[in-house]
Amino acid sequence: MILDQEIPKFFDWFLQSLIVAFPVTIFCVAFFGWLIGFLISATRRGPVEGFYAVAKVIAGAVSDVVHFSLRRTIAMTMLAVRESLRRKVLIAFAVFVVVMLLAGWYLDVKSDQPARLYLSFVLTASNYLVLLLALFLSTFSLPNDFKNRTIHTIVTKPVRPLEIVLGRVLGFMFVGTVILAAMCLVSFFFVRSGLRHQHQFSVPEGQVASATKGQTTTDAHHHHTFELGTDGNGMTDVTAGHTHSVTKTADGIQVRPPSGMLQARVPKRGTLQFFDRSGKPGSGVNVGSEWMYRSYIEGGTLAAAVWTFENMTADRYPDGFELEKDIRVFRTHKGNIEKGIRGSIYLVNPNPAAKVKTSEEIPFVAREFVVDKQFIPRRLKAIEDGAVRDVDLFEALTHEGKLQVRILCSDPGQYFGMAPADVYVLDAEAPFWWNFVKGYIGIWLQMLLVTTFGVMFSTFLSGAVAMMATLSCIVIGFFPQFIVGVARGSIEGGGPTEALIRIVTQANLSTDLDLPNWGVNIIRALDFLFMQVMQVGANILPNYGDFNTAPWVAYGYNIEPALLGMHLLRGLAYFVVVSLVAYFFLKTREVAK
Amino acid sequence: MVPAVKAEAASAPQNASPDTGSDVIIETRNLSKVYRDFWGRQKVRALKALDMEVRRGEIFGLLGPNGSGKTTTIKLILGLLFPTSGQALVFGKDATEVSKNERIGYLPEESYLYKFLNAVETLDFYGRLFDMPAAERRERVNKLITMVGLDWAKRRQLKEYSKGMTRRIGLAQALINDPELILLDEPTTGLDPIGTREMKDLILRLREEGKTILMCSHLLADVQDVCDRIAILHQGELKELGRVDNLLTVQDVTQVRARGLSKKAEAELRDVIARHGGELVAMENPTTTLEELFLSIVRDSEARPGRRAQERG
Repeated sequence: MILDQEIPKFFDWFLQSLIVAFPVTIFCVAFFGWLIGFLISATRRGPVEGFYAVAKVIAGAVSDVVHFSLRRTIAMTMLAVRESLRRKVLIAFAVFVVVMLLAGWYLDVKSDQPARLYLSFVLTASNYLVLLLALFLSTFSLPNDFKNRTIHTIVTKPVRPLEIVLGRVLGFMFVGTVILAAMCLVSFFFVRSGLRHQHQFSVPEGQVASATKGQTTTDAHHHHTFELGTDGNGMTDVTAGHTHSVTKTADGIQVRPPSGMLQARVPKRGTLQFFDRSGKPGSGVNVGSEWMYRSYIEGGTLAAAVWTFENMTADRYPDGFELEKDIRVFRTHKGNIEKGIRGSIYLVNPNPAAKVKTSEEIPFVAREFVVDKQFIPRRLKAIEDGAVRDVDLFEALTHEGKLQVRILCSDPGQYFGMAPADVYVLDAEAPFWWNFVKGYIGIWLQMLLVTTFGVMFSTFLSGAVAMMATLSCIVIGFFPQFIVGVARGSIEGGGPTEALIRIVTQANLSTDLDLPNWGVNIIRALDFLFMQVMQVGANILPNYGDFNTAPWVAYGYNIEPALLGMHLLRGLAYFVVVSLVAYFFLKTREVAK
Repeated sequence: MVPAVKAEAASAPQNASPDTGSDVIIETRNLSKVYRDFWGRQKVRALKALDMEVRRGEIFGLLGPNGSGKTTTIKLILGLLFPTSGQALVFGKDATEVSKNERIGYLPEESYLYKFLNAVETLDFYGRLFDMPAAERRERVNKLITMVGLDWAKRRQLKEYSKGMTRRIGLAQALINDPELILLDEPTTGLDPIGTREMKDLILRLREEGKTILMCSHLLADVQDVCDRIAILHQGELKELGRVDNLLTVQDVTQVRARGLSKKAEAELRDVIARHGGELVAMENPTTTLEELFLSIVRDSEARPGRRAQERG
């Protein structure tokens, strides 16, 4: 899984957001809202009356908050739920079930990573269907009320605009949540049953008693090899992303159900420090088209990447620990492409005055896009005063619970690319079902954002236009990097106007426009305006990709509570701010025509 | 004959009726509304500087042809529209204030209700909007459904209702909060003669209960039957405002109605009129209204099903 940015510590992020980002956002929304409201009002009524009108709206807002009624909001919520049911929202769930039933037609059953495939599939299908549902529900409801004038009998009751907005959002969220929960349940059993398989021992019956190694039968398009220990127990090799435990009993060799297929690994992450080719602390090498986040170390030199892990104690890891590495490989020469690039691991005591400074070399081979697991036993060989001897890892190589893991690339001319999240200690296994639910919470948050934006746009736009506006927000939210790239001019082809002209005239992206200078200037001036708006939009609108935690579930990583907490708070913040904006739009518009 | 209608200026003092108080419930001051297009250009001037007052306990009628500004006035009073200039005050508060709605009931021109709800759900929903507790809501819903005569259809979705039934449930929702002020936009539209009469009776009953009613209609007979005071609008301007009885009184004509007079007595009356220099305009047997005739036939039919209506003298 590509984790291309560090997850900040929750409380650092929370304090920064609570003290700086959220108040600043609220202030900006309030200030610009007031300014725009005043300008519009002043244009129509003159500055004095305009100011009075805006002040009246603000005073009214305070009164509306004071008189907020939960009962009225629940009434509006129930109305939205009934309306959703009348609009046959359950069709979305029916479509989902049909998609699941027909999944066998288009899912690659011979995949190397079937769990990843199944999980990505169900999460993506749920995500798109639910967002589509939220889009249609939220954007057409209020405009229909305006069109049918049913809103007239609502706003002539003591209902506050905030209650109307919240009622709509909560109602659609209730319906969406029920459907999403049903999807989650169906998906869970679909994945579980889809991946369930059983192998048999494939050696003829007469040879079972003497067999210590062997092969399983081919089931679910794969088979395993295994080797039994002296106690008659063993594990198969890792194929299709899982293993089976194998036991020799009086009845023969039993191959157990798959393990490691649906997992939620909890990684203990460390801090990363790079050393340059002369062995001095510095930074890694940038090899070109890579994220700045990931740096490279050169093979055959003293360049190294050193992770420092904390809380490495014998209590936590009584037998040793599992080190997982997802190291990138950059080859400056082809070498033997079948083989990986060799590297070395040293466990280093962070205390420079320690008697035992480092373990003996632990060699490994790095392959691109393969998460390599390495078990580090508690008893291992280390170097003390130039001599190799057996030591206890936690007694000899840790200092105040800290342990350093130094990784070097051994093949000259080749590079290892690493980032802080690429090497970690496997801390624990979280329950898979809970991780799966957390993945759906990510989808739920996206649904909340779409619903809130949809309702907000529908307070002043017609249904179809509100849907297009919300859809634009989703597109911008899913591809903010691209939008910012276009807005900053770093993507070839110019801004929207220039791009449109290039599409119509079929002009190459890198050639100059075949227009007179004044024409080009006008286009660029127009694009400049568009690009400013795009840049603001990309920075203000929610980044939907951030909320998408499906890869964590699919790649078998536990979604960190800090990440989930940040997503929840961020979603809540958007919900609050956008609902307030929707409130003011609804409050300041004429309900009748 | 052209009746001489006594005009009463908007600002002139009104003859206070014994059952109407002097509290001003609705007041409009120079109230104007201009509809504009998307670009802010003036499309139509729907209401021009309307000044009027509606007092506690009276039935006030807004009268005028289609497009005269009646509905615009009601929408401005309800806060559904914002005035271009001037002000509308309801219970002394600006019309855009939501809190005034606590004491208001509104029956729109067409009953804009959610068709997927049934009568009980509809009234329960609007009751919730008034923050009414469940027990009070239940009692009020049952009472109103009985009052508008929809007990037999209270569990049917509104999409199955006839226009008259929808109108009744619309009226029930307008009364859910036992309002002090009721605004009725074309209240008899879509009702059959019986429904129309019931609606008019109900309006009068509501006044007896002390409610204030503002209604607009282009059905002159309805307005004449129930309203205490009226305002006549035309092309957005107030043309007339005053008590109905004053406005409709023909000052120079005297009407005498008597029962059981002989031909001789009628001749004597003619002589008396001639002796005093008066002009006899008409002496004839009066006709009833078609509405009265229709209602009488229906009542008779209900009393004696399966027979033709009795011959009337």
